[in-house]
Amino acid sequence: MKSNYGEPMNMNKIVSSFFCIALVLTLSLGAWPSHAQANEITVYTSYEEDEAAAFLDAFYRDNPDISVNLLRLSTGDLHARMLAESSNPRHDVIWGWAVTNMVDPRIMDMLEPYQPEGIHKVPARFRDAGNKWFAKTGYMAAFCVNNEILKRKNLPMPASWEDLLRPEFKGEVVMPNPASSGTGYLMIASILQMKGEEEGWEYLEKLDNNIAQYIKSGSRPCNAASAGEFAVGASFALRAIKNIEEGFPITMVIPSEGAGNELEATGLMKTSRNKETAKRFIDWTLSEKAVNEYYKWKEIVTVEGGAMPQNFIQAGLPQDIGSVMVDMDFPWSSANRDRILDEWQTKLER
Amino acid sequence: MGLKNRLAYGFTQKIVSIDKEVLLKILVACLVALPLIVFVLYPLFHILGRSFQTPDGIGLSNYFSVLGSKRFLGLVYNSFAVTLVTTGLTVFLAFIFAFSIQRTNIPLKNLFRLITLVPLFAPSLVQAQGLLLLLGRNGLINRTLGTDFSIYGYWGIVISSVLYVFPYAFLIFSASLAMADNRLYESSRILGAGPWRTFITVTLPSTRFALMASTFVAFTLVITDFGNPMVIGGDYSVLATEVYNQVIGQANFELGTVIGMVLLLPVALAVAVEKYFNKNHQDQLSEHAKPMVVQPHKLRDAVFTIYSVLICLCILAVVGIVIFASFTHLWPYRMDLSLRHYAFDVQNGIQPLWNSIYVGFMAAGIGIVAVGLAAYITERFKTFLDSPLYFLCIVPAAVPGMVLGLGYILAFNNPSNPVYAIYGSLLLIAICNVYYYHAQGFLIASTSMKQISSTYDEASATLGGTFIRTIRKVTLPIMWPTLVGVAVFFFMRSMVTLSAVIFLITPSSQVAAVSVLLLEDRGAVNQAAAFSVCIMGVVVAFLLLARLVLNYFGYRNISLIR
Repeated sequence: MKSNYGEPMNMNKIVSSFFCIALVLTLSLGAWPSHAQANEITVYTSYEEDEAAAFLDAFYRDNPDISVNLLRLSTGDLHARMLAESSNPRHDVIWGWAVTNMVDPRIMDMLEPYQPEGIHKVPARFRDAGNKWFAKTGYMAAFCVNNEILKRKNLPMPASWEDLLRPEFKGEVVMPNPASSGTGYLMIASILQMKGEEEGWEYLEKLDNNIAQYIKSGSRPCNAASAGEFAVGASFALRAIKNIEEGFPITMVIPSEGAGNELEATGLMKTSRNKETAKRFIDWTLSEKAVNEYYKWKEIVTVEGGAMPQNFIQAGLPQDIGSVMVDMDFPWSSANRDRILDEWQTKLER
Repeated sequence: MGLKNRLAYGFTQKIVSIDKEVLLKILVACLVALPLIVFVLYPLFHILGRSFQTPDGIGLSNYFSVLGSKRFLGLVYNSFAVTLVTTGLTVFLAFIFAFSIQRTNIPLKNLFRLITLVPLFAPSLVQAQGLLLLLGRNGLINRTLGTDFSIYGYWGIVISSVLYVFPYAFLIFSASLAMADNRLYESSRILGAGPWRTFITVTLPSTRFALMASTFVAFTLVITDFGNPMVIGGDYSVLATEVYNQVIGQANFELGTVIGMVLLLPVALAVAVEKYFNKNHQDQLSEHAKPMVVQPHKLRDAVFTIYSVLICLCILAVVGIVIFASFTHLWPYRMDLSLRHYAFDVQNGIQPLWNSIYVGFMAAGIGIVAVGLAAYITERFKTFLDSPLYFLCIVPAAVPGMVLGLGYILAFNNPSNPVYAIYGSLLLIAICNVYYYHAQGFLIASTSMKQISSTYDEASATLGGTFIRTIRKVTLPIMWPTLVGVAVFFFMRSMVTLSAVIFLITPSSQVAAVSVLLLEDRGAVNQAAAFSVCIMGVVVAFLLLARLVLNYFGYRNISLIR
C-alpha cells in the first residue's frame, strides 16, 4: 500500500522533530546548572556590593584554586531567602550578615559549630559561645546631611538625634524602615536601649512628625540626602564616607547620644556539600590579608591589626570608634525584634 | 483481492488512522498542558497551601490577621485609588493618541508611534527614576525654577504608572482603530452627521472591545506593579509593595502569600470579565469592507499634532533624562559628561546583562514552541480538551509576577521535585518568564491563527494530511512571521521583567533587571541608569534585527512590538 501520512513511523519522526526544536533551542543555549565542582562554594553575604567585590579579589589572590559563587542581598532579603530555602539550602557559608538576624533560632539551627584558624583573634564577646558564628566587622548609624540644602534653607547642622526634633527639620528627614532594613532596626533598637522603652517610644513618636519618609533600605536615606532630595538621611557611616568620596556635598554626623551599631557575622552551613573548601574560605576571612582589607572598607573591625584609612578620618570618623558607639545588647535586639516591629508598625508605620 | 475486500480493508485502515490521529491529538494537547500545570498551577497551589499554614497547623489565622487589620484596608484603598485613576487616565490619553495616529493626517506618525513604545524597552523602575530626576525635590524642574514641590507619593505613582502602561493601552486601541470599514463612515457623512456625531455613533461603538481590553490590561498591570511604587511612592504603600515587604523585608511568607492571594482576586476577576466579553465578540469587518480614508481637516490635524507632540515629549523627557543622567559625572551637581558609570563596580560587572540576553533567547525559543502549539491546538483540534486548555493558557494573565516567583521558590526548591534539577539555573528563569507571559504570547499566536482560514487545514485533511503535516506544510509557512513576533515578545519581556525573577536569582544567575533594582537600592542612581540604558540598547538591537529579517523576506506589515 502506498505510504499514508498516518503511518506511525512517519508521525513519530515528525513529532519528535518538532519537539526537538524546543529541546535543541534550550539545550544549545545551555544553562543547565553547573553541579558543585570540587573547589566551588556558594556564599551568601550582606556586605555592600563594592566591598564584597574587593574582599573577594583579595581572596582570589590567596586562593586561585577556589571559585566562589557570591550572592549579595540586603539583610532582610537574605533572611527571607534563607528561610524560604531552609528545606534545602543552596549555600555553604553565610558571610558578613547582621548578628541580630543570625541569632534567629531558625537560622542558628542551620549552622554548624566551627572554630576557624585564628579565632582567638576575635574577642569572645564578638562570637557565639557555641562557635556557630563570629563577627569580625560591623557598621554604625550616621546621618548624611546635605550642605547645599542647609545653606539654601538656612538650617543648622544637626549634631544629635535630639536635634532632629527641631521644627525647622519638618519634612526634611528620612530614615530607614526598621521592618525591612537592618540599619533601620539597629537605630530603633539603639534608641530604645539608650533611653529605655518608655522614653524611647515617646522620642520616636515626636521624631515621626519630622520624618518625610521611612525608606525601605538602609543606604537609600543617605543617597536621597546626597542627591539633595532631603536635608538629612539617617543611614550608616560607610555610606556617608563613600558618598563624600564620590563628591556629593554632604557631611557625616555621628549622633552625639551614641551611634547604634550592628555586627556582621560569619558561619558555616550544616548542609554544606563542600565543607573542606568552605572551611578554607572561613579560615581566610580571619587571615592577615583579609583583616587588612577590612580596615580599608569597614568602620568597625573587631580584629586587631590595621589602621583606619585617612579618608575615614577626614570624613569625621573618630579614631577611637568605641567612644562614639552605643554598647548594643544584641540578644535583646534579636529576642524583642518581632514585638518592637509590631509596636512600631501599629504606632508609626504609614 | 476482490473489490469488496479492498473496500473493507480501506475502511478499517481509515478507522485505525482516525483513532490514531485523535489519540495523537489528545497526547499532544496533554503534552502542552503538562508544563502549564507544572509551572503555573502547581506553584499557585503551593502558595495557597502555604497561606493556610500557621504555627498551630492548618487554619485561617493568617487570613484573619491580614484581612482584619486596619492597615490592610488602607492598602486596599490605596491600591484601588492608584489603579482606578491610572487606568482611567491611561485609557483616555491612549485612546486620543491612537486616534490621532490612525484617524487623522498628522505628520511623522511612525516617529510618534515609535516614541510611544519606548517605555516597553526599559524596566518599569526606570520610569519612576526618570520622574524623580525630573520632578523630585532636587530634580531638574525644582532646581531650575527654584520651586519646592514634591512628587513622592500618590501622584508620583499615578504619573509613572500612566507612563508605564500607556504603550500597552495604545497598542490595543491602535490595532482596533486601524480596522475600519470606510463604507460606514461614508454613510454617516452622506446622512449628514458631523465628525462628533460620527465619532459617537460609529467610532466609539466599534472600539468598545478595545476599550474594555485596554481597561483591564491597564488595571492588571498597575495593581500588580511594585517597581514604580517602590521608587517613587515614598510612604504611600500599595498591596504589591506590601507583598514585597512582607516577604523580602520581614521573611513573612505566610502573610505575603495571603496578600498574594488577595491580589490574585481582582486580577483574576478582571481577566475573567474581559475574556467573557471577548468571547462573544465577533470581528465586525466583513470581507467587503473598504479601507479607511481619512478626510482632510486642517484644524483637527493641528490640534492632534500638538497633542501627540506633548505626549511624546513627556515620554521622551522621562526616558531621556535617565539616559542623560547615566552619562553625567555626578548628577545633579556635576553635569559634565563621563562614561564612568558604565564601569559597573558590582559583582560580575556586566555579566548579568549577558545572562539576561541568554534568558531572553531561551524564553523566545521555549515560548515559540509552547505558545505556537497551544494556539494551534485550541484553534484547530476539535477535541474535548480545547476549552480546558484555552483556560489554562490564559490563567497566567491573572497571576502577579511576584506571586508566581514566590510560588516557584516554595514549590521547586525541594530535591524530591524533578524540577529541582534546574532550580537556580537560567533555564528555570526563562521558563518562569515564558509562563508568566504565556497568556499574552498565546493570544498573539491564536489571533494570527484565527486569521488563517481553517479551509487550508480542511483541504489538507481532506487530502489525507495529518495535523502534523498540516502544521509543517501549511501553518508554519504562513505563521512564521507571527512566531518571530512571539519570539520578540518573549525576548523583550525577559529583558525587562523584574517581579517574578527576583525570587529566582542565584549568584550565578543574576539578571540585568534585578541588577538595576540592586543598584537603585544601593543608591547608585547613575549606575542603575547606565544599566537600564544597556538593557534598552539590547532590546532595540534585537528589534532591529528581527525587523531586518522580516523585511528581507518581504513581511513589512508584521508588527513586532506588542
